[in-house]
Amino acid sequence: MARNKTQDAGEILQGTLDLLILRTLILGPAHGHTIARSIESTSENALEVEQGSLYPALHRLEDRGLVASEWGVSDNNRRAKFYRLTAKGRKELAAATGRWRRMTRAIGLILGESNG
Amino acid sequence: MGFQRYLNRESRDRDLAEEIQSHLAHEVDANLARGLSEAEARRRARLRFGNPRTVRERVWIYRSLPMMDGIFRDLRDAWRSLRKTKGLTIVALLVIALGIGVNTAVFSVVNTVLLQPLPYPDPQSLMRLVLFTPQRTLDGASVPEFNLWRQQTSVLRDVAGYDTGGAGLNLTGGDHPMQVQGVHVTHDYFGLFGAPVIAGRTFTEEEDSPHGGNVVVLSYALWKQRFGGDTNLVGRTIQIDNTPYLVVGIIGADFVSDNPADLWIPYQFDLNTMDLARYFRVAARLQTGVTMEQANAQLKLASDQFRREMPTAIRPQNHYGVIPLKEAMIGDTRTPLLVLLTAVGLVLLIACANVANLLLAKASGRQREFATRAALGAGRWQIIRQLLAESLLLSLSGGLLGLLLGYASVRLLLNVNAGGLPRVGENGMALALDLRVLLFTLGVSVFTGILFGLVPAISASRTNLVASLNESSSRTGSGSRSVNFRSVLVITEIALALVLVIGSTLLVRTYLKLQGVDPGFDTHNTLTMAMSISGGRFQASAPVDQIIRQGTERIKAIPGVIEAAAGNGLPLQGAFGMPFDIVGRSNGNAPTTGGAGYYSVSANYFESLKVPLLRGRTFTDRDNASAPGVIVINEAMAKQYWPQGDPLRDRIQKAPGFGGPFAEPSRQIVGIVGNTRDNGLDHNPFPTMYIPLAQMPDGETALNSRVAPLWWVVRTNGDPHAVAAQVTTALREATGGLPVAHIRTMDEIDSLTVSRQRFNMLLLTVFGASGLLLAAAGIYGLMAFSVEQRTQELGIRMAMGAQTSHLRNMVLRQGMILTIIGVAAGIAASFWLTRFLASFLFGVEKWDPLAFLLTPLLLSVVALAATWIPAVRATRVDPMTALRFE
Repeated sequence: MARNKTQDAGEILQGTLDLLILRTLILGPAHGHTIARSIESTSENALEVEQGSLYPALHRLEDRGLVASEWGVSDNNRRAKFYRLTAKGRKELAAATGRWRRMTRAIGLILGESNG
Repeated sequence: MGFQRYLNRESRDRDLAEEIQSHLAHEVDANLARGLSEAEARRRARLRFGNPRTVRERVWIYRSLPMMDGIFRDLRDAWRSLRKTKGLTIVALLVIALGIGVNTAVFSVVNTVLLQPLPYPDPQSLMRLVLFTPQRTLDGASVPEFNLWRQQTSVLRDVAGYDTGGAGLNLTGGDHPMQVQGVHVTHDYFGLFGAPVIAGRTFTEEEDSPHGGNVVVLSYALWKQRFGGDTNLVGRTIQIDNTPYLVVGIIGADFVSDNPADLWIPYQFDLNTMDLARYFRVAARLQTGVTMEQANAQLKLASDQFRREMPTAIRPQNHYGVIPLKEAMIGDTRTPLLVLLTAVGLVLLIACANVANLLLAKASGRQREFATRAALGAGRWQIIRQLLAESLLLSLSGGLLGLLLGYASVRLLLNVNAGGLPRVGENGMALALDLRVLLFTLGVSVFTGILFGLVPAISASRTNLVASLNESSSRTGSGSRSVNFRSVLVITEIALALVLVIGSTLLVRTYLKLQGVDPGFDTHNTLTMAMSISGGRFQASAPVDQIIRQGTERIKAIPGVIEAAAGNGLPLQGAFGMPFDIVGRSNGNAPTTGGAGYYSVSANYFESLKVPLLRGRTFTDRDNASAPGVIVINEAMAKQYWPQGDPLRDRIQKAPGFGGPFAEPSRQIVGIVGNTRDNGLDHNPFPTMYIPLAQMPDGETALNSRVAPLWWVVRTNGDPHAVAAQVTTALREATGGLPVAHIRTMDEIDSLTVSRQRFNMLLLTVFGASGLLLAAAGIYGLMAFSVEQRTQELGIRMAMGAQTSHLRNMVLRQGMILTIIGVAAGIAASFWLTRFLASFLFGVEKWDPLAFLLTPLLLSVVALAATWIPAVRATRVDPMTALRFE
């Protein structure tokens, strides 16, 4: 009973996970666990990263050349794979952020929110 | 993106597994930090993450090409399945290889002859100049016509003339003279065909004018063989017929001349001549941007103008024009090749039906396998796909085998008998296995695989799950639908095979009829050979007559020789044509009385060939230059031009109005001889005139000597080959060292004239026999299968006391019903299809009763024999085993 995903809207909107990962990585290289935690804590736990989607998403981003990965050692002194943003990734992040802003604004207008 | 996503899937999967482990460890760390117990920390971490396997699978699938994966798996399964039924696979493979092999073979010929562009630059603009008559298109040209065409510079350029056959020339000046193929050409010839000059140059316009001097261009092959590739040969002289010729150039090895040539000599036409004899060919290029229609329109105008200047040259209904050079070279071989292509298409269809039948039989034994797979969740498409993979694997392997088989056999075939095909080179050497042939074979293979694989695949995928799994036996579960399918296939096979066999029967009958045609003379025990007399000393009739007298005298002294003679042509090989007038008869509107083939021959020519004399007399030694002019005509000419009157009372004016070298007084008709088939055995004899060689105008003899060899005929009383060496020696001695070539018996020439018919007949017979064999195999397979399937039923019947003969007849009846339906369909199809064969038939109707009655009978007998074995097997069923048959 701890969480009820369907009602909490904690599930991340389809297609936005990539954007969130890229945004998180702008602070510096991180491994998968950190990325998930960071997304959750930054969103004040409003969003929950489904672990099963995180790694496919990371690999997809890597194949698209938006992030690069490297094995390293984490703060906990454990082996972990660190992802960092590539130049191409930075460009994509800027573009995706713009797209996102335009869309949320448009949706907001339709839903009748005063632009605040 | 990129393709790398599909690479190293396994190592990247291991990487991901490690990454997931690392993630879980971090999660456990975090949980421990929150104060959870070790066990609880691990439990929660795992719970939170979910199933790591699912994540790995998602990434794995994302990295895969689902299609490719499936195909590899299907091919692997197909390979296993095919190996499991080795016997069936091998039979199917051979059937497909046969079907695709014959298609590859015929298509590679079609490709070389019909499809490949001519091996010259910008081949589409190359045209042959022709005379269009209402009946046909003639491609001979005379000098005034050549001159006229040369002037049409608004539509044509590079107008070049060249020999139709090429005169044999004697290369002298070495240890032994050698007869080579010399082709006369005008100076534009090399430019027209873009011939690569590797040394020196080609003829100048001056050298190609009368008195332009003796110059020659050599082919690469002759330069290498006869002159050892001597780099200093250009600028030196060589001896041709004891006359020095200046070598001005050498043409590259890769030049394929329209007529095979060892060397080229300029024609040196006198463009002012009024000589209207058509004895060479002309080709040209369309001017840039000019269409064939425009050229034809312009040439039609030119024809009308030309007719006003030279009324005898061209009849009012005829006019000049162009046809693509490629069309001219292909000639009438297009239709036979397309017929053969259709025939092999039918063979392929039969082969497909056969293999489909085999696969259906196989599939019906696999119902339970498919049902099991379906029960395990395989979709219908997946089952179809797997069966298609099997058939494609079969067809592609069969196609590869067929490619090798077909190519090897077509090379072998053309080596034995090129069937008079143009463009295939000597012994079919020019036949290329190019990309188009490979693509064709690949396409046919894929098409075949889908064709014969689809029916079994769809029928197998229709499997009723429950019924199949409940079947107690794999033998009784294939249902009647599959048998129906297979019956239709067998009927189709029989019908198609019948079409093929009827077609080949018609061609065999044609060939036999041709063999039975009387050529008009005795072909046995007759030796012939060609002697080039292009040298300067034979530019008049007297010296030619002289060597014939000396030659025949010496030949007749050889034991075994009965008679000998010579002439400017042989029967069966076609003759020059010549217009003539009957003196004192009105021609009406026509410029001349008519046209006829004509030969200049020596005394004893008819006796040597045993051409029968019907009336009057033949030529003797006394018909020499000083004697009154005489002429002998053949029966066809007598019948056509003297339906009532007596030809022997009339005189003939040959080449009226030709003037120049052809000018001569009229001649008295002194004899009528029997017809010889000079236009091929399958054509009616045409009017022909014979003139004593000694009485020929010198100018005409000179022209003949330049463009055609002198043909010798020797009648022997035994095997003609036995005296060939002695005749050759005798002729060399009699003529001062002239060599002879093309030593053949008249029987061999006779057989050459029907080589095309033999070629078509042989091929179609092979295809027909293959079709018949495949159809027989098909009906055998079906009946054997059906008997095996009904073992239980047969056993019960037998146990109930059924007569064995009754059981046998039951199976026979079933087979014969299929056969009769197939035969009926085949006869109906043949009635319609044989019209396309009509132009190949000779002496046989396209609805030849023999072919349409005997062939179905033959096929029925074969089918009966094929059914007999399973039928007898049905009677041998032991009731006890049959009932236990699981």
